Parts: sequence; C-alpha cells; structure tokens
Amino acid sequence: MDNKAHTALDAIAVKIERASGNVPPLLHEIRHALALLLDHGESTCIDLKSMPLAPGEEERIVAALGSGEVHAEVDALGLSEIAETAFPGVWVVSHCDERGAIQARFIEVTQVPDVLRSQHSDIADGLARLTTRLTVDG
Amino acid sequence: MTLLDFVRGPGFFWAFTILIAGIVLRIAGLLLFRRRRDLSTPRDTSRVLGGLRTVAMRSVPPHELEKNIKFQHFTGYAWHLGWFVTFLFLGAHLPLIRSVLGFAWPNLPNSVILVITAVTLGTLVTLYVRRLFHPVLRVITDVDDHISVLLVILPLITGVAAFAHVAPFGVRYETMLGIHLLSIEALMVWLPFSKIFHVVTALMTRFRIGAAFIRRGVRA
Amino acid sequence: MSHDETRLIDHLRARGVSRRGFLKFCAALTSAMALPPSMVTVVAAALEKARRPSVIWLPFQECTGCTESITRAHGATIEQLIFEAISLDYQHTLQAAAGDAAELARHEAMQANWGKYLLVVDGSVPLGNPGFSTIAGQANADMLTEAAKGAVAIIAVGSCASFGGIPMANPNPTGAVPISQIVRDKPIVNVSGCPPIPIVITSVLTHFLTFGKLPELDHLGRPKVFYGESIHDRCYRRPFYERGQFAESFDDEGARKGWCLYKLGCKGPVTYNACATVKWNNGTSFPIEAGHGCIGCAEPNFWDRGGFYDALSVTHWGTPKDVAIAAAAGIAIGATAAVLARRKQAAASKEIKP
Repeated sequence: MDNKAHTALDAIAVKIERASGNVPPLLHEIRHALALLLDHGESTCIDLKSMPLAPGEEERIVAALGSGEVHAEVDALGLSEIAETAFPGVWVVSHCDERGAIQARFIEVTQVPDVLRSQHSDIADGLARLTTRLTVDG
Repeated sequence: MTLLDFVRGPGFFWAFTILIAGIVLRIAGLLLFRRRRDLSTPRDTSRVLGGLRTVAMRSVPPHELEKNIKFQHFTGYAWHLGWFVTFLFLGAHLPLIRSVLGFAWPNLPNSVILVITAVTLGTLVTLYVRRLFHPVLRVITDVDDHISVLLVILPLITGVAAFAHVAPFGVRYETMLGIHLLSIEALMVWLPFSKIFHVVTALMTRFRIGAAFIRRGVRA
Repeated sequence: MSHDETRLIDHLRARGVSRRGFLKFCAALTSAMALPPSMVTVVAAALEKARRPSVIWLPFQECTGCTESITRAHGATIEQLIFEAISLDYQHTLQAAAGDAAELARHEAMQANWGKYLLVVDGSVPLGNPGFSTIAGQANADMLTEAAKGAVAIIAVGSCASFGGIPMANPNPTGAVPISQIVRDKPIVNVSGCPPIPIVITSVLTHFLTFGKLPELDHLGRPKVFYGESIHDRCYRRPFYERGQFAESFDDEGARKGWCLYKLGCKGPVTYNACATVKWNNGTSFPIEAGHGCIGCAEPNFWDRGGFYDALSVTHWGTPKDVAIAAAAGIAIGATAAVLARRKQAAASKEIKP
C-alpha cells in the first residue's frame, strides 16, 4: 500500500488549455467604460458571473487588472471585498455570504462603488441612536 | 416522442433494416437471374483480370469522348469523393460508424471537412442546375434522377446547418439535427430501389461485362 | 400558521440587516436572476414593497433531491434568505410538525391565503394506482387537484414534477405523469433538472416576490432566462468541438487537456439549462468542467434517450442479429423475385423457339 493515503488534487495531471480567450475583449469593454466615465461621468457595472468563463479565467481577468490604492471590506450579510484596481475608477466588488462563499462579483467602473456609500436610512438610524445615547448620557 | 427521439430510435432502425434488406434483395435477384450460356470457344480464360481491367478502363471516359465531357468527368468525381470524405471523416460521424462496424479511424479536422463539404455542395447544386437547363440533359432526366439528387444534397445541407448551428426560421439545433438524420433515413430507404443503387451495381456491372467479353477476346 | 403581513424589508431590518446590506442582497439577487446590473434599483424598489408570500410545498413521487438541492445552505446565503423572505407554511422534510398537526396547518394556511399562495411541487404523480404514493392517506393526484384550486401559480421543481422524470422512465410501472398533465387551469413553471440548480429554483421564487408574476417561459414551460440557451452554446469547451478535438475515452490525453466530450456521450447540444454559466455549488463547477458529459437531465425523457455514453450521432441501428435477419429477408424476397423472373424468361424463350 502506498504511503500517501490520498493523491492531492493538483497531482492529477490535467492541463487546461486557454479555451475561450475572454480576457482581451473584457479589458476592451472596461476601457470603453472608463472613457465613458471620464467624458460623461457615467458608471458601468459588469457582472462577472453572467459570462461563461473557462476555469481560471476569472482569476486571470482580476490579475490583469492588478491592485491599486484602495482596499475595503464591508461586513453586511457576510464580507464584501471592494478593491480599486491598478486603473483608478475600475473596482472589483466581490460579495460573499456569511459562509464565505462568493455570491456575486462585479467589475464596477465608477468613482466610488455604491456599496461603500453610507445609505440614507442607515444614516437616519445612526442619528437616532446617537441622539438617544447623548440624551441618556446627558 | 420528439423528432430527434424518433430519428435516433425506430426511424433509424427501420431505415437501416430496409437498406440492408433492399440491397441484399436486389443483389440476390440480379445474381439469380437467368443468363444465356456462352457456348463459343473462349479466346481468353483470365476472367478476373478481364473484369478488373474493364472496371479500371470504364472509370475514365473513352479517349475519343474525353474532350466533350471533361467538365462532367471531373466534377462528378469531385463531388462523389467530397461526399464520402464528409461522411467517413467528420468527427461527429465516427462514433456511429464505430458502433456499427466495431472499429473506426481518425477524423479529419472540422475546418478541412467544412471546406470539402462546401465545395461538394457547390458542385452538386451547379450540376443540378445545369441538368435542369441543358437541352439534352433536361429531356433525359426523370423523376428518379430528381429525387436521387435531392436526397443526396439534403444530408449535406442539413448537416452543415446543424454543425454550424444556423437556425433558419428559428429552428432549434435539436430539430435541425433531427431533420439531418431524417434526410439520411430517407436516402437509406430510397437507395436500394432507385438509381442510387449504382453504389453497388456500378463496379459489379463493369466487372461482369469485362469478364464476359474477355472470353470473346474483346477488350471492353 | 398564518400568513405574515410584514414587508420583506422590515423582516430583514428586524434581523439587523442595514440598508447597505439590503442593497448588497439586491445586487446578488439581481445577478442570480440573470438580470443585468442596471436592474438592481428596480429589484430593490420592488422588494421594498414586497410582502412575504405563503408557500406550500407538496412532495410527491420524488427522491427529495430537489429539496436537498435548495437547502444546501447553513449560513445566510441567498437561498437561506429567500426562505426567510417567504412564509414556507408546509414542507415535509423541513417542517417540525408531523402527522395530523401538519395537515391541519396546511389546510389553515391554504384557507388563510386562498387564491394567493404559491404551490411548489416536486416529484411526479402516479396515476396507475392512487395507492402508489399517498400523504396522510390522501392520493397525490387528489391532494394536487385540491391544493391547485387556491394557488396563484404552481412551481414544478425538478424533472419529475416538470416532465415525469425517473418514475416515468420505461416501463413507467406507476403510471407517473408530470404536474402539467393534471393541473390545466393555473400558470405552471417547470424548473427542470435532476436536481435543478439551487439558485434557479430560488430565482423563480424571487422573481415572483419582486415582480409579482412568473418569469417568461419557453415552449416547455421553463424560465427562458435560465433555460433559453443550450449547454453547448455556453460551454467553455466549445472551441474544441469546433476544431474537432474530442476526448476518446475518460482520462485519455484529450480528456486531460479538457477537450470536448461529444464522443463520450455529452448531450450538451440538445440540453437547455444554466449549468455552463451559473454552475453548481455556488459557481464551483459543472459536470463537463469536472470531465463528464452532460446527461441532459433538464430535458423530458432523458432517461430513455439511449446510453449516457453514446454520442448524439450514435443511433439505434439494431444489433448484428437484426442485420442478419434483414439480410435473410432480402435473400428470401430476392430469390423469390428471381425465381418468378426466370419462369417468365423460360416461358418467353419457349415461345420464341421454332
């Protein structure tokens, strides 16, 4: 009997050929969206889960965009990761649930992704709580 | 039962059965036909060689007529070869061939087959249109010819349409695939009882004529 | 159990979900419903007004795989939240109540929400003998007919409820039929698959929740947004199919390179489902990506379409024995024709001889 009880998954010799070539077209789409943002202030949102990407392609696209100055985490119904890429205005937004499984992934071309903005009703809630605290504490 | 289920199931079974029974039926009938015995002295006894020589010689037009029928000669061979290469070397066909024969062979790349099929289809359509307008051919073409040509063209057109996933009139892929198989089944049923039976008799006939004539010392 | 009058958004707020969290929830839902990101605001606006609809889930001749599929969640995933967004008033596998208490609860929920509750059904209905499948002594067909009367719409979950599935496979010993063959006068959505992708099931519920109506359906009653394209048309291995690079057997060179599985029996070209884009296990993978051809589980009669490992081009031509019988029949007919022809020939030559 072999010493190794299990073969590690990456020991199985499977070579993935570059099948669908989605990276360049997507980068072009992002380029157009950036131009639109610059010239007209219009935001664009690309849903990465809506495309039939080959295995590993989503990672390749995100790697191609690189990382920039901003990296934020939002803790609401699980963690969401919002990272500005090496191209200012191009953000990768990943929504995870409380188990850490990815629910949705977007490439947002905008000045600030909506999920980072504080929402009106939440601000109102916060104001009410702060007012209560100050009233109680005197 | 959907169209695809029918053509992959009972449709194919009965068409294939009729094809086999029909071919065997006609060969048996032809071979058992009564022939007048040749009672003359044989000038040459090598019947097999005579037969083979005739098969080869009649596979090209006679030298005297070559000039007039060059076009038909080359285009005829071109589309026949193209048709069989498409049928026998497309990747998608080979699992079926393997299931029937028990063995198969490597396929040709799809891009190569597509070019060959396109040329075959173009040649066939050109020849058919020519047949419809040529003063002599028009007169000697009968119903058998028309149906045979159409049944030979249909599998090519429907096959390309299915393979390339084109959807005329919004037809879905599984329907086009079903129509492709249906056209093949129509061809299979038509083959033993029409001019297309020449796939079996062409070489048989030439061989027989050669074998018969070599006895009389004639190079036929 | 009675219908909950609270709005969905209040329910989430009570759970401690901020508006930012609600917007994240809407973004994920919009993506799950395969709607473009621009629809997030529409979805959010609709969900703000939405109330928790009553849902009655009836399980008939099924393996419970569909329930398992939708409940493979232990944390606050989208699926779990959807279940909180609806008032699931009756579900065998999940509910705590049992026996008469459960049946009473079901009747109460139906009465309280008559004309407004969603009826979810999984499993086929046996018509061969009503005793083949019963709940609390009541035959499936009767329970379905009764429950359908007060439903606003019916969601047939899984291939069994949609098309008959495994029970209906040859020789169909129980006389199983799909839901649509029994209920004719209510809108029915067929969410087929064996099982269906979890997010597809919940997306239909979400669509109803958000827009108050069922999504657009194809000719088989399946939501077009998920069943509108074939696996083949969205498969990442399609370029290999186009080039004619096929895996010839499992684990051969081609298989390891991830080539097309057509020759190994993949039914992707004739199967319509969202496996190639939405995938399984939260987008982890799907059968073709794992190296096995599609078996066509979202299509009717997929169990009776020939072998899973026979390519689409492999037809039922018969067996060598059938070929031999056909040849024998050919010889018999041909010989008979020849004998008759020879008689004619002999008669003709007798006439000619002087």
